[in-house]
Amino acid sequence: MHLPPWFWFGLITLLSWGIVGLLQKLSTNYLSAEWALVWVSVGFFILEPWLYPGKVLFTYSGRALGWALLAGVFNALGAWALLAAMKTGGKASIVAPFTALYPLPVVFFAPLILHESITALQGVGIVCALVAVVLLSTESPTA
Amino acid sequence: MVIPVELKAKWLWYSILCVLCWGAWVLFSKLGSNEISASAMQFLFAFGFVPVAVLVLILKPGKFEKSLKGIGYSLGNGVLAGIGGLALFAAYRSGGSTPVITAATALYPLITVVLAILILRERLTWLQVVGLGFAVVAIVIFSL
Repeated sequence: MHLPPWFWFGLITLLSWGIVGLLQKLSTNYLSAEWALVWVSVGFFILEPWLYPGKVLFTYSGRALGWALLAGVFNALGAWALLAAMKTGGKASIVAPFTALYPLPVVFFAPLILHESITALQGVGIVCALVAVVLLSTESPTA
Repeated sequence: MVIPVELKAKWLWYSILCVLCWGAWVLFSKLGSNEISASAMQFLFAFGFVPVAVLVLILKPGKFEKSLKGIGYSLGNGVLAGIGGLALFAAYRSGGSTPVITAATALYPLITVVLAILILRERLTWLQVVGLGFAVVAIVIFSL
């Protein structure tokens, strides 16, 4: 059976990001969320030479670069909050799927900020996400 | 007023904060990606981590934590997150269907759940399993 290249690349993404959830929990067994974030940042920088886009980087507008950096700041804040969730007793099997629901606020705010409308299917997604949040949260704080 | 025990859990509020921050990340990424390619965006993301890492260490000062295991897991976390992103761009560029790739890779928390059950011996209640099912449906819908 011949599988196309995109399948294998997609599988690498799926497995890498899935393992990341496990590593996040394991790292906070040994480090505070703050120090774990520092080393996660170092991990990101190890890959920077492969991601460097070349001279085109200097042709982007200041506004676009600002959005990109701001995106990075919020990505980092989210990563710190996730690590803190795991450090304060959140299970990897609960926090990972819970935090994967981050498109929920996007769907809420996209009409206001990006002037995009919500489809009926996205409405179903919102309801499912809210039900998931409630059910995944049914855990005693000492668990 | 009696506060439900679940709402007293710190992890829940940190998780909600994560969802809100990553929601903002997606919105700002969308604004930036009008001009900047996805891989260049990922290159720039790393620079956004620097001020936050410095800030959290200033706001919560403490001793340098030198657990080699913790450092190794964290470095692996950063590297694998980046590799996953690179592979995703490669998948898009190698001709697959964008909705299929997006929806399939968005299911990464299921891998975490399986690994957490097998390796960390975590257990889920039946209500949480049902919640996981709703989360999967929501994640797939949002990624389409």
